Amino acid sequence: MQLRDYILRRVIILPILILGVSIIVFVLTRVGGSPIGIYLSHEMTPDEVAQIEARFNLDQPVWVQYIYWARGIFQGDFGWSGVAAAPVTDVFPNKLAATMELAIASGLVAVFLGISLGTYAGARRNRLPDHATRIVAVSGASLPQFWFGILLLIVFWANLGLAPIGRSDASIWSSISHPTGIYTVDAILAGSISAFWDAIWHLILPALTLGYGATAIIARMMRSSLVEELQQDYVDAARAKGLAERIVLRRHARRNALVPTVTVIGLTFGFLLQGTITVEIIFRWPGLGRWMADSVLRGDQATLMTYVLFTSVLFLLVNLVVDVIYAYLDRRVTLGK
Amino acid sequence: MTESYKPSLQPWQSGEARESALRVRLNRFMGLIQRLVSNPTTVMGLAVIVSMIGIAIFAPWIAEPNFPDPYQMPRDWGAVRKPPGTPGHILGTTNVGGDVFYGVIWGSRKSLQLSLMVVGSTVVIGTIIGSLAGLLGGWVDEVLMRIVDVFLSIPELIFALAIAAVLGPSFTNIVFALSVVLWVKYARIMRAQVIQTKQNEYVDAARVIGDSKLNIYLRDILPNSITPVTVQATLDMGNVVLIGATLSFIGLSEAGIAEWGVLVSEGQAGIASGRWWASTFPGLMIFLWALAFNLVGDGLRDALDPRTEGR
Amino acid sequence: MIQLNWRTGIAGLFAGTGIALSMTASSLAQEINNPGLLVHAADDEPTTLDPAQVEPGEGGETVILQVYDRLLDIGPASPELIPSLATKVPSTDNGLISEDGMIYTFPIRGGVIFHDGSELTAHDVKYSWDRAMAMDLPEGNAGALIDAIDSTDVVDDYTFRVALKEPSASFLNSVVVSMVASIVSEDAVEANGGIQAGSPNTFMAGNMVGTGPYKFAAWNRNENIQLEVFDAYWGDNANLDVRIEIGGDPDVRVLGLRAGEFDTVETDPSFIADLEGAEGVTIYSGGLLLEPLHIGFNLNIPESALPDEDTIPANFFHDPRVRQAFNYAFDYEAFLNGPLAGYGEFNSHYIPIGIFGHDENAPRFAAQDLAKAEELFRDAGYWDEGFSVSVITEEGNLFALMCLVLKDSIEKLNPKFRINVLAVAESVFDDAHSQNPLEYAMWAKNADPAADPDFYMQAYIHPDGEWGEVHGFSNGYRDGEAVASLIDQAAVELDPGKRAAIYSELQTLLYEDPMWLIAAQEGVVMAHRDWLKGFAMQPLWPRPSLKFALFNK
Repeated sequence: MQLRDYILRRVIILPILILGVSIIVFVLTRVGGSPIGIYLSHEMTPDEVAQIEARFNLDQPVWVQYIYWARGIFQGDFGWSGVAAAPVTDVFPNKLAATMELAIASGLVAVFLGISLGTYAGARRNRLPDHATRIVAVSGASLPQFWFGILLLIVFWANLGLAPIGRSDASIWSSISHPTGIYTVDAILAGSISAFWDAIWHLILPALTLGYGATAIIARMMRSSLVEELQQDYVDAARAKGLAERIVLRRHARRNALVPTVTVIGLTFGFLLQGTITVEIIFRWPGLGRWMADSVLRGDQATLMTYVLFTSVLFLLVNLVVDVIYAYLDRRVTLGK
Repeated sequence: MTESYKPSLQPWQSGEARESALRVRLNRFMGLIQRLVSNPTTVMGLAVIVSMIGIAIFAPWIAEPNFPDPYQMPRDWGAVRKPPGTPGHILGTTNVGGDVFYGVIWGSRKSLQLSLMVVGSTVVIGTIIGSLAGLLGGWVDEVLMRIVDVFLSIPELIFALAIAAVLGPSFTNIVFALSVVLWVKYARIMRAQVIQTKQNEYVDAARVIGDSKLNIYLRDILPNSITPVTVQATLDMGNVVLIGATLSFIGLSEAGIAEWGVLVSEGQAGIASGRWWASTFPGLMIFLWALAFNLVGDGLRDALDPRTEGR
Repeated sequence: MIQLNWRTGIAGLFAGTGIALSMTASSLAQEINNPGLLVHAADDEPTTLDPAQVEPGEGGETVILQVYDRLLDIGPASPELIPSLATKVPSTDNGLISEDGMIYTFPIRGGVIFHDGSELTAHDVKYSWDRAMAMDLPEGNAGALIDAIDSTDVVDDYTFRVALKEPSASFLNSVVVSMVASIVSEDAVEANGGIQAGSPNTFMAGNMVGTGPYKFAAWNRNENIQLEVFDAYWGDNANLDVRIEIGGDPDVRVLGLRAGEFDTVETDPSFIADLEGAEGVTIYSGGLLLEPLHIGFNLNIPESALPDEDTIPANFFHDPRVRQAFNYAFDYEAFLNGPLAGYGEFNSHYIPIGIFGHDENAPRFAAQDLAKAEELFRDAGYWDEGFSVSVITEEGNLFALMCLVLKDSIEKLNPKFRINVLAVAESVFDDAHSQNPLEYAMWAKNADPAADPDFYMQAYIHPDGEWGEVHGFSNGYRDGEAVASLIDQAAVELDPGKRAAIYSELQTLLYEDPMWLIAAQEGVVMAHRDWLKGFAMQPLWPRPSLKFALFNK
């Protein structure tokens, strides 16, 4: 009952938040001046500039422009991207698939590293391995990713030739069809092992760069909940039964410590999403982040607005789901006790 | 004001009790310090922070200030792309002849400025707004918190990037963009804390006595609410420099200033060609800076965490 | 459950690494990466692939050069015009230019097939030119056609005739070979939206149907553009398919070249310098870009429009001594040896080296002369008071570095002089730069390239020309009428000897009365893999001045 009310309240508030975000985004981009720069070349006469202004309705008052923009969105028209030289909606789906694939792969890396490091440290609390692990995990969150990424590239791509750059090998990529745009999934659907390895192979370095950054949050949560679990009575009971410490840790304590950790994984989503910007630039990953960075520098406001609006809505939805799961787990915990 | 409750018999209102409350607080603080110091990673972080701040303070004695603007890189156009160890350029030069050593030293001032300005302003704004929402409640709370929610729904870096892009590339604009983005975190933390402490007995008691709201707030609510803000602020001292460097990397920096992020992104130009020094040293400084504050923040959080406290 | 998921995922990851390692090992064994394919790492994403819409100097021109043909062409070796879709280069000698210089006749090549299979006739030629002029898109270069052409005619299927508005010494060099004069397929355009005045054709902006050695295959936005060899090409067939990798970090492009992933890369000269001696990489340098790197002086500053820090009066640059002083104070050597890494030449003149009319004996600014600069600033009355002035430019490129050299040069001269470098995003700069009047005292960029001196003179020197008007040159020339009349004379002078003499005179005149500070003329340099054969560059082709059809591996 209480949970249902909570979800209902969150869902009702969602459109208001989205409206708020859309206004912030629109006002913000317009504060910097008219989006006309990207459509101009430097030798245009004032008459020509006026023509272009009229082409994009930029001669209207700001609030009228907002309505044009908002109406366009409801009709599926997000404007013309000057950077991609195409309507935003034409380019968006492919880039989104690329970014999601990277973010999810990075998430997997972060979860694996985070849980392993957290377990390792939690089981050796306040000893040297614990401190060392903490430094390793926190280092990930403290490394400038654009700097770390290029160091990895120099070593593994340019010097050792062990890793590729970009998203796929063009010849392998064109040999299969792409119904989803997520290459690993496409490769599995096509049943092509070589395409699958190619996709994975291209994913490793960028996913490692990005995933390492998100490791600290998960490792921290895992460590502290494991520490807490290890002090529970049932652990002592298990030990008393003569179970090996390894078994106690793996079968019991870690499994229970994972429950609160799962909720924190949702929190890394925002981090991963914004991390794609620099990682995509460095690794030539053709996703939303790189497109966004280009758009920012070249004043492509249509793309900028779509990107910010989209990521915010996504972020809101993910947070909603995470909070609901958390509330659910929390309730179960209270009920259980 | 004070007179109004002095005659009261309530023990927690007497001067003596106040003193003992202070002592409790002091003891608690010493305990915190003890727990912090017992964690070697925190001590390491603290040591790095102290040396970084030392470098920032003594920068003019370590590297002679550039004239007329010390925050501009000194450029020696006759010695571009020189490796470390070149006479006069101990850490080498950039592709425009900027002295990397100078940038590393004076960059600590820029980073300190950036993080102090951003964290300072966001803590103040966030605390005020969060406290107002928590204290007043009702529609004020509702409106303020919905605004906070809207701000929180845009991922930090993306929001800051959009603002900085709109304002144009400059250091001041990066400070402004980060401040606009980060205050909401503090507002939210503060509000939750205020609501929680407001329900504590001693606040109720003070209210019964008729103590002024402002007094109650300043004396009882604020000090009890500020700890989680401190943790967040410590973490942000590092993160702000990291995000600022990312904005610089994407191209929103000011050309030619002695700032680590700018130096890394300018120095990146040469890494592929073996000129590793121009971006490695400032990159390392950003890393150490962020690492140090993250470790201390982490240690602080552990030390304050009631679940792990005293175990 | 959760445990199971991440564990299998990670197991897959490790297995993937193993396979990946063995795959690289085999690919390293090959001598040449990507046989049969040229991978070019480009700087910019095109904004359009339509010749009628593309802006000169913009990324789309690179692709248009490969996929479309024009009536005439310029070969790799010399600036001479050579036949292309027209079988002869018109001249008064072969009778294809009328005696009065008003009528040009082009015999059109037979048997030329478009990529869509239709056959080229003179109707397509007329259609292509008329189309660009009718659309007259502000971002494009249609003005070049419109300003010159009075009418176009199809005489018969294989003869095309143009009547000009007035005789022009530069029509063939600056109009016929320009990208806007590319020949498109009439059938393809008519089948996809036809011609609409004033609005772009979305099909043509993202697709190409031409007659060139390459046909368009795909454009993955922000990722790559793919071109395929066109087997039915009328000339020599191309050898390699092409993939143009777009954008990204310049450093990564250099890494890719070193690793052999890319065959040619576009970067600043300072990156190229770092590649000297790299294994498997050849550095090609030869000739100069036709885009002088310049800093403009605004003589037409609107009332109180300048940034707050600026202390200069609005008529600061009206005084020729001030403009000269800036030219003397600039540290040319620092700019050439630093940012340009030595790739370039000093040329303070607006007729670039390599263009007809450039006089190598004319006086020029090539070395910093601080004493002379001080003397001029003293004479002009700014020495004791000092000044502060802002210069606006695009961030993160050579232009910003040019401004930093200016800043250091001027501030070194006198501590009371301050230069504020406003390095802004490209779009912000374009916006500021397209204002008239311009609200900044100085700005830095490069000139648009052209093949004929008249273009540079009209655009950048003539008091009634494009920039002459915006910058108010008439407020400051010592003798503006003389400058104007010399330029007008040269424009219609058909005798090359006399024309060259006029341009020499102009260069001497402008040395005493500079309207720009030209930091250098950038060298044409490019790094490519050793295995690339037939490498050639022609600065008269749009950046990066390459024709992929000439290459082989």
